[in-house]
Amino acid sequence: MSSVTSSNATLTAASAAQLSQGNSARWIGRIAIYGLLLIFAVLYLMPLFVMLTTSFKTMDEIQNGNMLALPQAPTFDPWIKAWGETCVGLTCAGIKGYFWNSIKMVVPAVAISTIMGALNGYVLTKWRFPGHTLVFGLMLFACFIPFQSVLLPMATILGSLGRFGMTLQNATGLSFGFGNPTINLVFVHVVYGLGFTTLFFRNFYEAFPTELVRAAQVDGASFFQIFRRIMLPNSLPIIVVTVIYQFTNIWNDFLFASAYAGTGDSMPMTVALNNVVNTSTGVVEYNVNMAAAMIAAVPTLIVYILAGRYFVRGLMAGAVKG
Amino acid sequence: MAFLEISDLKKRYGALDILKGINLEMEQGGFLVLVGPSGCGKSTLLNTIAGLESITSGDIRVDGRSIGGLHPSKRDIAMVFQSYALYPNMTVAGNIAFGMEMRGVPVEERKKAIDDVAKVLQIGHLLDRKPSQLSGGQRQRVAMGRALVRDPKLFLFDEPLSNLDAKLRVDMRTEIKRLHQRMKTTIVYVTHDQIEAMTLATKIAVLKDGVLQQFGTPADIYNNPSNMFVADFMGSPAMNLLSGTIEKQNSGLSVTLTRPEGEPVKLPIAPGRENLEAHAGRQIVFGIRPEALTDPDGADRNAQTLAESDCLIEVVEPAGSDTFAVIKLGGKEVVARLRADARIQAGQNARLAFNLDKAVFFDPQSQARIA
Repeated sequence: MSSVTSSNATLTAASAAQLSQGNSARWIGRIAIYGLLLIFAVLYLMPLFVMLTTSFKTMDEIQNGNMLALPQAPTFDPWIKAWGETCVGLTCAGIKGYFWNSIKMVVPAVAISTIMGALNGYVLTKWRFPGHTLVFGLMLFACFIPFQSVLLPMATILGSLGRFGMTLQNATGLSFGFGNPTINLVFVHVVYGLGFTTLFFRNFYEAFPTELVRAAQVDGASFFQIFRRIMLPNSLPIIVVTVIYQFTNIWNDFLFASAYAGTGDSMPMTVALNNVVNTSTGVVEYNVNMAAAMIAAVPTLIVYILAGRYFVRGLMAGAVKG
Repeated sequence: MAFLEISDLKKRYGALDILKGINLEMEQGGFLVLVGPSGCGKSTLLNTIAGLESITSGDIRVDGRSIGGLHPSKRDIAMVFQSYALYPNMTVAGNIAFGMEMRGVPVEERKKAIDDVAKVLQIGHLLDRKPSQLSGGQRQRVAMGRALVRDPKLFLFDEPLSNLDAKLRVDMRTEIKRLHQRMKTTIVYVTHDQIEAMTLATKIAVLKDGVLQQFGTPADIYNNPSNMFVADFMGSPAMNLLSGTIEKQNSGLSVTLTRPEGEPVKLPIAPGRENLEAHAGRQIVFGIRPEALTDPDGADRNAQTLAESDCLIEVVEPAGSDTFAVIKLGGKEVVARLRADARIQAGQNARLAFNLDKAVFFDPQSQARIA
């Protein structure tokens, strides 16, 4: 459009002057836009910058220097200490154990909730039954329930499961995971995440051609064969979106983690980090705290960097096609 | 006994009747085309044969076996879908072999079957490609290959050509016909294109609003439409349907068609239509196809009852192979089909010949055929 107007404008000298005027106006606009973007980018990156630089400084430098200054003598000691030596509550063995706790909780929780969301979406779009909209509506409702209102009922349920585990333990010598805090958290996150994952997959499969499912039926594929061979291989964008969403949410969750696994050896990373920072003994080791916080943030950053472009593309695909 | 038998088939969605008692029979090796306007239930009928939709009542039998309640995979059918429905994550070979894989056919046998089908459809060089790397015509072939490789009792085609451009559609139409002649398969084919129906079918079933309007050979449907809907739907340009009056005189029956100016046209009625006597003096609908209304030199030499009349030509539409002329008759615009070099001009009178052997008569109220 603008190229058309500019080519017309060159016809007369008067409009040539107009053109240069328009050009400079556009330049000012550009500068303003990029300037603003730059300011906000710096603003948003500032905390990350401070965390990173602080985590490589010695305590002397932190106490005597400028917060924004680059480290004079970069050192990895705070990272090593945070990983293996710092005190979480009363045990001083670093945060590595809690990091693995989080991994052990996040991986199954993300995998189970994603697979179940995909199955739900598949059934709600391709195997419709009377009342499927009601079921979907209720699942959507799960997305709007605030965390806090789930806390007490969930605690009751987990308590019952724990007692059931004790009974099993006494009867058979094995608790089968009932009452295990990590498994409890996996359960909570799967239940809470199901509404979101179902929503993602249902909207994606809504636009998925039903003729493919029918063709597979005629070809003799069963319910699960169609799911595994036809639906899942063609769902990469939405799987990535769901995994990113669930991974960041579950990894960063503090409320459920502190409520159901807030003490002992099985607490996840987020709770452990809080305990590191909130220690009341001795000098506050900002560099170690920052290193610990960075370690806690790294997995979500990695997931974003590896799969971020799919995230945007996946959200778009659902929006346009749906 | 017929190979494919559909008896009193009904399909209801809630309070909505989609199919209202369909009866069809089809011999082995036949090509049945279900044709009708959109929403007539032809695709639903095909889906009930495929087992993708359940039937409310009635029965479907293939080769003497009732398949009405069976799962699609147990019906020994193969289907070609409108969108081709190729699995995007699999190669062409994977797509063709998927049905065999699901049925546990050994790998060597699958390979051989794929090669055979690829040879027939000339898609051997495409076997390793993904569907997204294929053109429309190639996808169409792969979709047919996926159906052919199964060697089923019954092939179902759901508007397979509607996604292709005009030229490719004609080519693929010929190809499907050739394939049918060579493989002697039994095919049920859904289309809304009456030319496809005429060219491909051995039997045509015309549907409207879930009711079977007529079932017969293409020639039968074309020449002896059972009602005004079929007469109007089949054929391009459509049959001229104009209102006229039956008169009985000593010389026999005749039909009178009004004109905006001048004397009405009075045409004798061919012998063998004696049941029109009951309608003497009454309004009827007179149907005549454009090719039965032509210039005297181009008229059918074997016609028994020909009548000629001077008509005012309103519009002339040369189409290359023919020239179409529009005249006003019986309160309607009537299309006549003349030889390409017929000397006619718009606004002038020209002599036209009516081939009354081919004329048909309908009741204006019930729209049913009278004679």
